[in-house]
Amino acid sequence: MKPIVELMDVVKEFPLGKVTVRALRGVSLQIGRGEFVAIAGPSGSGKTTLLNQVGCVDTPTRGTVRIDGQSTSELAESALTKLRLHKLGFIFQTFNLVPVLDLAQNVELPLLLKGGLTRGERDRRVREIVDQVGLTEQLGQRPNELSGGQRQRVAIARALVTGPNIVLADEPTANLDSATGEQILDLMERLNRDQETTFIFSTHDSRVMAHARRLVTLVDGKISSDEATEAAA
Amino acid sequence: MFALMAWRNLRQGGRRTTLLGLALAMVTGLLVLLMSLSDGVNDSMIKGATSLAAGHVNVAGFYKATPDEGFPMITETGKVKAVAQEAVAGLATVIDRHRGWSRVVSDAGSIWAALYGVSVEQEQRLLQTLRPARLGDYVEDLDGLDPDAREGDMRDLAEADTAMLFVTQARRLGVRVGDALTIRTETLRGQSNTVDVRIVAVMDDLGLMSNWSIFLPKQTILQLYGLDDDTTGAVMLYLDDIERAPQVMEQLRTAYAEAGFDVMEHDPRPFFAKFQTISGQEWTGQKIDITTWTDEVSFLVWVITAIDSVSALLITILTIIIAVGIMNALWIAVRERTTEIGTLRAIGMSRGRVLAMFLTEALMLGLFGTLIGAVGGALLAVGVDALAIPIPSQAVQAILMNDRLHLVVEPAEVLGVIVGFTVMCGLSALWPAARAANMPPITAIHITE
Repeated sequence: MKPIVELMDVVKEFPLGKVTVRALRGVSLQIGRGEFVAIAGPSGSGKTTLLNQVGCVDTPTRGTVRIDGQSTSELAESALTKLRLHKLGFIFQTFNLVPVLDLAQNVELPLLLKGGLTRGERDRRVREIVDQVGLTEQLGQRPNELSGGQRQRVAIARALVTGPNIVLADEPTANLDSATGEQILDLMERLNRDQETTFIFSTHDSRVMAHARRLVTLVDGKISSDEATEAAA
Repeated sequence: MFALMAWRNLRQGGRRTTLLGLALAMVTGLLVLLMSLSDGVNDSMIKGATSLAAGHVNVAGFYKATPDEGFPMITETGKVKAVAQEAVAGLATVIDRHRGWSRVVSDAGSIWAALYGVSVEQEQRLLQTLRPARLGDYVEDLDGLDPDAREGDMRDLAEADTAMLFVTQARRLGVRVGDALTIRTETLRGQSNTVDVRIVAVMDDLGLMSNWSIFLPKQTILQLYGLDDDTTGAVMLYLDDIERAPQVMEQLRTAYAEAGFDVMEHDPRPFFAKFQTISGQEWTGQKIDITTWTDEVSFLVWVITAIDSVSALLITILTIIIAVGIMNALWIAVRERTTEIGTLRAIGMSRGRVLAMFLTEALMLGLFGTLIGAVGGALLAVGVDALAIPIPSQAVQAILMNDRLHLVVEPAEVLGVIVGFTVMCGLSALWPAARAANMPPITAIHITE
């Protein structure tokens, strides 16, 4: 099967004062459609940098990143924006909801950016996805009126509303208590199963890793292990 | 939704947005007030000029018996009027007045004044514009007189050897209705001549020009200067639309040339400023000089220019301050919302849309601020004008060409101010908005790993 995400010998370097930090040191990785993958590793191992390359919010210093067969380094900024809009969904550690919009509007935002849908169609899709994350009662509430878990559910709904091929989640449970974190992971797993959307999330929490069906471990910017987990069995 | 986001972000700006909006409203209000003042002065000038000194278009000229001396008069008044009436469509009124310049002497003093010889039955416009002044405004020793009484009637100028003057002149000459004045001047032949006249009306001042304008019956002027009945100083044309004056002037230039008149080149100065030029020319006989009202009061235009220049300077300074304020506020907003911008870029918002989002905020702030300021300024201007507040200082009266504060609100100008300031707000926001738009989406995801 053709991989939906393909990294070939990806190197990412950052200038930091007079020194150059090598965050990724030749990472090669293939992820197939519908996988539920955790990128694990200690702090500073390059997890977020790796997600940034896959999410097309950053470009590698060397190497190739292909999303659904398309090399990101060949794309202009506007084409990368379109790629993010149409094929990727993002879930952030700090939720990153737009504070001046209510729940429904936050979820509707990517649909508006995508365009081509009537107001009725947008409303229907928003209600559907909000229903799936269990927040129908909170539709009109602003982010500051929601709990951390509810906010992350909104972020998940926002990431999924356009029907992306890949959802990237950077430490999605880091700011949540363990019970709420479990619920969020269960939700992500269910949506992955139901919609066959590829989920790639970074974590350093072993309880979170246990939910993944594939675990890629990074150490010092290199893949130290890449294996199927018990959950895959 | 993007407009909603802009609106809510503005509201979230709280005190910063409120202060900036208020500053914008105040500057806009001030600009509207200053423009209303300038328009008021302009209106007073038009009213004063076109009532006292000029028609919308004037057919006047000079008669030279010898090459050295020109007299501001035209012969064949009937024919001159007929050509104008035939050539110009949309004429409201056509009148003619004699012009002169003389010493006016009373028991208490004397002044130099421009004389206008009128047929009172032609002067409906003047009758509607002028109002007899309060005795208290020009009689020093009232001695039991009612200061609010208004004496005299302009229509009495129909009687021979009468005069109508204005408050400032009456004060300087120490006269009131019924008193006598002596008018002393030189005739066309260079002889001194005088006439005694009785004051029939003292009117409220009408701008700067009423300081030196005195009205007499046409017959008295003819007698004073020894002129024929068929002469006059100027044929004054009043149009349905004053804006057409330059076009009508050009039209008349052709019409008079075709009717066999010798027409002077257009010289945009009042008739009294042309004596020296005329005297230096070799020709004798009659030449026609056609001018618009603005030419006849061009010596007063500096007042409007001065008011407009001071306003422009003041508003430019304030606008720069506001523009810097808006830019600064947007910089702060961009810095505060870095994560939000990065998130929006990450989820697929284009650079153009981010730019538009910040510009919308600035334009919205501009629109609301200027709208409030412009409406407030306009209402204040209308209110001040309705109160007709007297101006105590004569110097200020002279500058503002009115004895009362007169402000005119031009809706098109107010609209222009709103649009202009809103656009200025948008332009001020361009730099920070472009900075926000060019922010890489990676800012949404921490790069510390």
